[in-house]
Amino acid sequence: MLDCQLTDRDTVFYAFTNVMQPSVDLTNCDREPIQWPGFIQSHGYLLALDPVTFTIWQASENLSLLTGQPIDQLVGQPVADLLLGDLPGADLHELLTVAMRAGSPQAFNPYQVRINGHHWFTMLHLHDGALILELEPAGQNGLSLPQFTLITQTMSDVQRSGNLADLLNRTVRKIKELTGFDRVMTYRFGEDWHGEVVAEAREEDLDPFLGLHYPASDIPRQARELYKVNLVRGIVDVREPRVAILPVNYGPLDRPLDLTYSGLRAVSPLHIEYLQNMGVRSSMSISLLYRGELWGLIACHHYSGPRFVDYPTREAAKLVSQILSTALEIRQDDEETAFSRQLQDHEQTLYQHMLADWDVVQGLTKHPVTALDLNTATGVALLFEGELHTLGDTPTDAEILPLIEWISTTTPEIVFQTHQLPNLYPPAELFRQKASGVLMLMLSREMNEYLLWFRPEQIQTVSWGGNPDKPVLTGDSGEVRLSPRKSFEKWTEQVRNKALPWRQVEVATALKLREDLLQLVSQKANQIRVLNEQLRLAYEELEAFSYTVSHDLRTPLSSIKSYTEIYLEDHGNQMTEEAKGTFDKVIKATDRMNVLIRNVMQYSRMSRTDLTVEPLAMRPLLSQLRDELLAGENGRDITVQIGTTPDLQGDPTMMTQVFSNLLSNAVKYTRQVPKARVTVQGHENGHEIIYSVTDNGIGIDMKQAGKVFELFQRLDSATSYEGYGVGLAIVKRIMSRHRGKVWFESTPHQATTFYVSFPRI
Amino acid sequence: MLDILYVEDNQDEADIFRRVMNRLTNPPSFTILTSGSEAIDYLLQQGIYQGQSPPLPRLALIDLNLPGHSGFEVIQQVRAMSRTRYLPLVVYSTSDNPKDIRRAYDLGANAYLIKPGSYHEVTDMMRRAVDFWLTQSQYMP
Repeated sequence: MLDCQLTDRDTVFYAFTNVMQPSVDLTNCDREPIQWPGFIQSHGYLLALDPVTFTIWQASENLSLLTGQPIDQLVGQPVADLLLGDLPGADLHELLTVAMRAGSPQAFNPYQVRINGHHWFTMLHLHDGALILELEPAGQNGLSLPQFTLITQTMSDVQRSGNLADLLNRTVRKIKELTGFDRVMTYRFGEDWHGEVVAEAREEDLDPFLGLHYPASDIPRQARELYKVNLVRGIVDVREPRVAILPVNYGPLDRPLDLTYSGLRAVSPLHIEYLQNMGVRSSMSISLLYRGELWGLIACHHYSGPRFVDYPTREAAKLVSQILSTALEIRQDDEETAFSRQLQDHEQTLYQHMLADWDVVQGLTKHPVTALDLNTATGVALLFEGELHTLGDTPTDAEILPLIEWISTTTPEIVFQTHQLPNLYPPAELFRQKASGVLMLMLSREMNEYLLWFRPEQIQTVSWGGNPDKPVLTGDSGEVRLSPRKSFEKWTEQVRNKALPWRQVEVATALKLREDLLQLVSQKANQIRVLNEQLRLAYEELEAFSYTVSHDLRTPLSSIKSYTEIYLEDHGNQMTEEAKGTFDKVIKATDRMNVLIRNVMQYSRMSRTDLTVEPLAMRPLLSQLRDELLAGENGRDITVQIGTTPDLQGDPTMMTQVFSNLLSNAVKYTRQVPKARVTVQGHENGHEIIYSVTDNGIGIDMKQAGKVFELFQRLDSATSYEGYGVGLAIVKRIMSRHRGKVWFESTPHQATTFYVSFPRI
Repeated sequence: MLDILYVEDNQDEADIFRRVMNRLTNPPSFTILTSGSEAIDYLLQQGIYQGQSPPLPRLALIDLNLPGHSGFEVIQQVRAMSRTRYLPLVVYSTSDNPKDIRRAYDLGANAYLIKPGSYHEVTDMMRRAVDFWLTQSQYMP
């Protein structure tokens, strides 16, 4: 347990009564028990009474001056037996009775009494099991304004002030007017509890403190906790010695009385020294709360002499501060709400864009409102479907990708935020002007898709009121002593590698966008699934349909041909040659129609069917085709020569079709040539395998080259040959599905070569 | 004793078949049924043929595209009965769809013939088929 002893006014050391020896460092200040100092300030008197019998349990030592009795004689006496100057204890007793009857005695503070011809205020409160009574002199610096007026003035100030800074300035001016302090400041806590002076009203001759920062250790944690419950504290004169409360220990407890709510409470000698180092003679501070937490303080300093602000004035100042706190809440809330609403609007707009475009990248980057408008970032990057898109001011792609990698391995969470990236990820030092602040959303870990926002470094020049590091001194006897700061000269520090932090609402909006985006992606995936299924069904229907149509067209055709043949068989010997010729034409017409139907079926099948790629031995395939073709060409002088035949990778059915069509064309269009020669040859080069089919037939006029591969297009020269202009269209379709090419060269009536090439895998 | 059972719903085809059969050197005996359902009843001796004992053919020629039960169903049901398990079933269809061919064989057809589009070709094909199945291939009574 730590024991706090006063040795002299300048230094304090902590004696350890326990074996455990914590090292002395600046955090010890945090543990000083300031709520039971055991002392009050000298300008008033304090009694701690039994709340029922009003027996005196504790009294401040200076009461012996007023009562003429030593304190140990007073303790244990009923207050009614007391005589305070010319104020009978019985009067006090009556006052207390009335006050206690009301239930909460502090509701009627202060109570006026007269002692030795002067006005005094009595303040009562119940705490720590006792009824605590404090006496303070009444109004030397009296309040001239009635409360009502004060409230009205303050409220109209609040309404009239345009922004937060204006409001704070008006407030400190009003408090200065009310209390007469030399300097009144609004002190605002930042992150990690260091403070900044954001508004100031001061006497002309004083150095301004506006804009200075003070380290968190200047107002230690337990002080801040106390300030949340006791909203106004004052130190009347730093030079006056403190007055002890006797007896030292309160009741059966091993500690002094708890003075959390006391106006006379003496402060830590460390704090006194701190004020003296600053040249301050008298001080007062009022808490400013925002949503139940300490937002800042109104700090008052007086230099020219002690300054006593009586209870009613303090209460008035507290009232002004409470109005300010409320206004703060409203104003901050308003600002937050407006900002939040704007972000939500933008988020909705972005979602609508993505929906309308049915595309995430488009929706987020290609419209007037972009992902950059979702917060106050200066750059945004989207890694989606394998591509990195950036807008605004961002690091380079080569810098962003490793960063994403690092973040995704550092955290499994769906969102990552920092406002000091270079401190976490050293490579970011190089691009800290663009990305000291990063907010990243993980869209899909499997697909490696992320959305990031960037914020630039904010080089802040922070002015400190003195060096923020409190020195720890080693005394002569080797004891370690803490000493409050002696130096208050301005000290500037550059805060590097930091950006403005991300606001709550910015992160929330980003998360909302992620939800909407993921829903869209999932809908898209579903839609594609549905479309694929529909397509599959459509193909199946088409397949079934095609077969039915083909069958239904060919069946009557077959009847026509068959009956015509039967007629010829039965009546042929009775018919003239001319008549037989007519029937022949009927038969030939049905043949043509059959071929046409078959060709069209083949063509449509080539587009639909799945491609099965296999290695194909070309020599056997070509040999067989040659045999089949030549079987129908009896009586002709025709040779089909097969040269080198490198193997191919392709769909067997389709490959057969290609060469069948090319070869049958070669055979067909050489029919008029006495010695028909067809050559099939294949060779490989670096990136493809090329086959050629050459014939010495009628050839193709280049002027008609455009029609050669078109469906149903036939050349003039070919009209005397059977065919429907489907064969080469099929070849072209098949080659395109194999990612190959087909082309030709021709000299009419001499030679024609068709080439097909296949990419080498 | 019946040589051929031909299951075919197209009148022209049936007509041409009759003519072709009757012009063969040794015309086989044949019956033509026009639906798959009737063919099943006949071969399994059920339905309208219940109680009768129509003669089993030595060869059944079956079109696939039939009203009611399809040619596939005929094959399937016929193969399921022990009486007709070894009956030579030859599909005679216009379809050249590899899926149909495969399915026919999977169900137990012995052969698959694609109908030619002309009288003369039909004549050739039938002559060869009759020669093969009725004369050369051994019969399982």
